[in-house]
Amino acid sequence: MKMKKFIAVCSIAGMLAAAVTGCGSGSTDSKDSSASEWDSSNDITVVSREDGSGTRGAFIELFGVQEEVDGDKVDMTTEGAQITNSTSVMLTTVAGDEYAIGYVSLGSLDETVKAVKIDGAEATAENIKSGTYKVSRPFNIATKEDLDNEVAEDFINFIMSEEGQKVVSDNGYIPVDDVKAFEGTQPSGKAVIGGSSSIAPVMEKLAEAYKEVNPNAELELQTSDSTTGMTSAVDGSYDIGMASRELKDEELSQGLKATVIATDGIAVIVNKGNPTEDMSTEQVKSIYTGEALSWDEVTE
Amino acid sequence: MKSKAWTEKFMQGVFFIAACASVLAVALICVFLFANGVPAMKEIGFVEFITGKMWKPNNDLYGIFPMIIGSLYVTAGAIVFGVPIGILTSVFMAMYCPKAIYKPLKAATELLAGIPSVVYGFFGLVVLVPWIREFGRTLKQAGITDSSGNGSGILTASLLLGMMILPTIIGTTESAIRAVPEHYYEGALALGATHERSIFTIVIPAAKSGVIAGIVLGIGRAVGETMAVIMVAGNQTWIPESLLKGVRTLTANIVIEMGYATGLHREALIATGVVLFVFILIINFSVALLKRRSEHE
Repeated sequence: MKMKKFIAVCSIAGMLAAAVTGCGSGSTDSKDSSASEWDSSNDITVVSREDGSGTRGAFIELFGVQEEVDGDKVDMTTEGAQITNSTSVMLTTVAGDEYAIGYVSLGSLDETVKAVKIDGAEATAENIKSGTYKVSRPFNIATKEDLDNEVAEDFINFIMSEEGQKVVSDNGYIPVDDVKAFEGTQPSGKAVIGGSSSIAPVMEKLAEAYKEVNPNAELELQTSDSTTGMTSAVDGSYDIGMASRELKDEELSQGLKATVIATDGIAVIVNKGNPTEDMSTEQVKSIYTGEALSWDEVTE
Repeated sequence: MKSKAWTEKFMQGVFFIAACASVLAVALICVFLFANGVPAMKEIGFVEFITGKMWKPNNDLYGIFPMIIGSLYVTAGAIVFGVPIGILTSVFMAMYCPKAIYKPLKAATELLAGIPSVVYGFFGLVVLVPWIREFGRTLKQAGITDSSGNGSGILTASLLLGMMILPTIIGTTESAIRAVPEHYYEGALALGATHERSIFTIVIPAAKSGVIAGIVLGIGRAVGETMAVIMVAGNQTWIPESLLKGVRTLTANIVIEMGYATGLHREALIATGVVLFVFILIINFSVALLKRRSEHE
């Protein structure tokens, strides 16, 4: 009797497992036919970055998802939002789910997803510069106030020069205005740069361009995150720290000096199968605060 | 003779130091975790930290109850999918398998253990998530559920974890079954039991403690798994209402937010690590208990 029971339990469990995978594989066959049908009554898949991320911080502030309650700023992002801590997962999720919405740095935007216009303005470097596309954030570098590394100083001068800012704009970011031509002192030595993974790609290009101007210098780029970048700049393991957000007061009070080296736009992305082209700030906000749960509620 | 005694002593010392390294590592991790995590727990309030349902670090709300529930749900799901398949596979490998199939089968299960978890995660993200999403939407259209979910959630994470714990369960269970003395099985046959009956009523009950140890080790792996789960679980900090909804596990909570956390937020994440550590301690303790019991039998 016992054996029969055991076999019965096992077979039920096995059947359950088979049923789930069976349903799954069955429906992929129909996926191709349903891909073209857009059903706006389906739930929106809201994808957001993790709490504390520079991209998320800028996004919630600019779209008004952050509200002030009793003097405290409260992040009103809906609890139902899927959270990821990587840009590639964000892009893969939105590219694979017709009803998804997410946001990425303009420099990371690729062909697999569609960036929507916000209040009629397309997410391009020109529109951010002219101010018609309002969703942007600063890229900061931070150094200690008493920095005594000639290479690091010279490199910062390079970044803040015409040559350096050209690299910034070539990579899809928005350069800083009012810069002069670069006058290098050709120091030799080594500087360590580290921090935000959002800034790292453009910093790598800047370092390459700088090495052509000054072959004496050795630059080492380490990628981690904004907070590590700042704490390491304070304790001296990085000469230059990178942060894709504004510096916090507690970081500034530890003797850090911030310089904005570029501005980055944040693109709101949807799946390519999504017919939505243009959204208002209010509509994006209503999705991220959880007021609108399906696409037909947004477009109404 | 004298020099020999000296080298003997010396090498003994070397072995002793090597043995101490792992103990020291565990001790250091313990000290680090508790020294950093416990003050944060005190500051937040121990009860609020464990039972609080709101996790909003920006507003100083640190409740990890949703994450504890998340870890439990996902692990339970992994057991539901992984244990039956794992046990039946090991029974097949130990008692039924023709020699020609055995080698490739064994190699395949071992390879399964060697795949990096981020690869599992990417597989889940690209293959499993769309399946479950379509499954959820079909269910919603049929009116069975109110919300379809979006593919990332408990069900997806459970399926993936179930797959990931297979090698642990298969390996331990197979060796447990093989360790049962041959005459148990032969005795059952001699008494007139069929092949199946001998296996399921004599051999497996005799290997019980090894099988359970395998399951518990699998649970340990499932609780501790991070990368793969982050990519397919959705990571919402709520208590999910259905299997299709997203969850965040304890491990995911730490990894996702560690990069940007400062101050109390960072300490709260380390305190999450303390809770996780206690979970793992309980699991290891129960494995030790099972082993001791099996030795007595």
